[in-house]
Amino acid sequence: MKKKSLTRDEIIHLAKLAGLSLTDSQIEKYKTQLEETISYIENLNELETKNVDPTSHTTLLTNVYFNDGEKNERALDLPAIFQNAKNKEKNYFKVSSIFDE
Amino acid sequence: MFLGQPLLSILELIKKKEVSSKEVFDYFLKRIEKYNPKLNAYLTVNRSYKSDRSDKIEMPVAVKDNFCTKGIRTTASSKVLENFIPPYESTVTRRLIDAGAFILGKTNMDAWAHGSSTETSDFGPTKNPWDLARCPGGSSGGSAAAVSSYLVPAAIGSETAGSIRQPAAWSGVIGLKPTYGRVSRYGLIAMGSSLDCPGPLTLTTEDAAFILKIIAGKDKFDATTVSNKVPDYVSLLKKKRKFIIGITDEYLNGVDEEIKNAFYQLVKILEKLGHRIKKIKLLSPKYSISVYTIIQRAEVSSNLAKFDGIRYGNDRTFFGSEAKRRIMLGTYVLSYGYYDAYYKKAQKVRTLIIEDFKKVFQKVDMILAPTTPIPALKLGEFEKYPFFGEMMDVLNEPAAIAGICAINFPFGLTKKDNLPIGLQLMGRWFEEENILNLTYQIEKETDFLGVIRKGVKNYPD
Repeated sequence: MKKKSLTRDEIIHLAKLAGLSLTDSQIEKYKTQLEETISYIENLNELETKNVDPTSHTTLLTNVYFNDGEKNERALDLPAIFQNAKNKEKNYFKVSSIFDE
Repeated sequence: MFLGQPLLSILELIKKKEVSSKEVFDYFLKRIEKYNPKLNAYLTVNRSYKSDRSDKIEMPVAVKDNFCTKGIRTTASSKVLENFIPPYESTVTRRLIDAGAFILGKTNMDAWAHGSSTETSDFGPTKNPWDLARCPGGSSGGSAAAVSSYLVPAAIGSETAGSIRQPAAWSGVIGLKPTYGRVSRYGLIAMGSSLDCPGPLTLTTEDAAFILKIIAGKDKFDATTVSNKVPDYVSLLKKKRKFIIGITDEYLNGVDEEIKNAFYQLVKILEKLGHRIKKIKLLSPKYSISVYTIIQRAEVSSNLAKFDGIRYGNDRTFFGSEAKRRIMLGTYVLSYGYYDAYYKKAQKVRTLIIEDFKKVFQKVDMILAPTTPIPALKLGEFEKYPFFGEMMDVLNEPAAIAGICAINFPFGLTKKDNLPIGLQLMGRWFEEENILNLTYQIEKETDFLGVIRKGVKNYPD
């Protein structure tokens, strides 16, 4: 098995993309584990796939539509929408600000 | 009183008014109080049963904790959703309730269904009812353990690749993974959206057929469900059918000797019953592991992106280590510059795996194989295996990747540790009735070598 390697910076970058905060020891741990995994999955290159189409769906469904103007029965009312929110004001979710003044 | 009675027998007793639904509910509640502290199969027990109508017919069913149940806490075994009360009902639980089910409780699982041991649950592992020092398998480990120890006659699990069949094998019960799209995923907390399938874990083939009939079918809230007619799976069991059954060495490599022996013992029985056994060739399951790892991690990283703690639940610092690992790898294989090398390559190999099954299914009606390479591991033992135990699902992943249906049934116990052995049948897309039919024939002929009855007996009233 060919060993693939990742840098610490790559791990930190991935965590940032995924919105995860990692400790130093976690960075090291995930680096080793991700390296192990991406080395294993290299075995796919043993298979020739040049003329193979990628699968889009296993049961070959195509084009599933809703009818125009159909009532959305999944819609929740406002109390249901907010019932699990920790931080809200009137009918809004409260989040920390993204931009400075 | 009803110890070991399958769901359909209990339903019969209620209909004949020999017992009331309330008595049944109280019976299982008592058993849960007695054994759940030891097994940790349930995370939430629903005590809200109302006995206002003595003639009401309600059957007890347990549901894995990744199905949204309106008003009943749903955590996916993660601290991120520790206090989440769904404001809506999943289609699976809605259909069960409409068919007269009472949701007895929500069962433990690997957090977000990430795992094959139920050890990654943020609420402690479930123990294997056959040996409390071992894993029940996973991720539907709580459902498998609850059925095996008769803390409920039937339960719902979900499978992305092995999460119904593998815990069913290790806990010694029946576990059916339907074809992708046969059962709605609406309200199921998504793991791998192109793979996830809800399905039943039961004590008898008839119960599995009965539950599948209730939950299967087109759902306008899940566009990936198909409009194929839902057959009457229970009555189709009784037809004496003969099948051509494929077996392949690719699924026996590295498999425990005792499991292999059980496999060959069953092959002989099937021949005696008049079925034809045919040697086939399939792609090595090792490629399915790679395809699964890439596609599933990719889908996980995207599905778990919505958990930000703003609208519900806790923020992303509450993710456990396994979820983080999967999100990281998924993010990697989808990131700029790697998409073609990993995700696209995996979807191409997925096509090869599907074609491979299609070719084989022209020659045989179904495939018989072991469900797991070894019997239940001890708690904590997964860490010792390379690739974090993904190998425990090696024999489950090809069917999941291809989206075909498959069923695990117990077939004997190991002499070494007295642990259940699980074998599986994999069938063509939307031919659940065939694998159920043969499982039923095996049940009638062998009683699964007594495994299910013995399992229940370990947990007297």
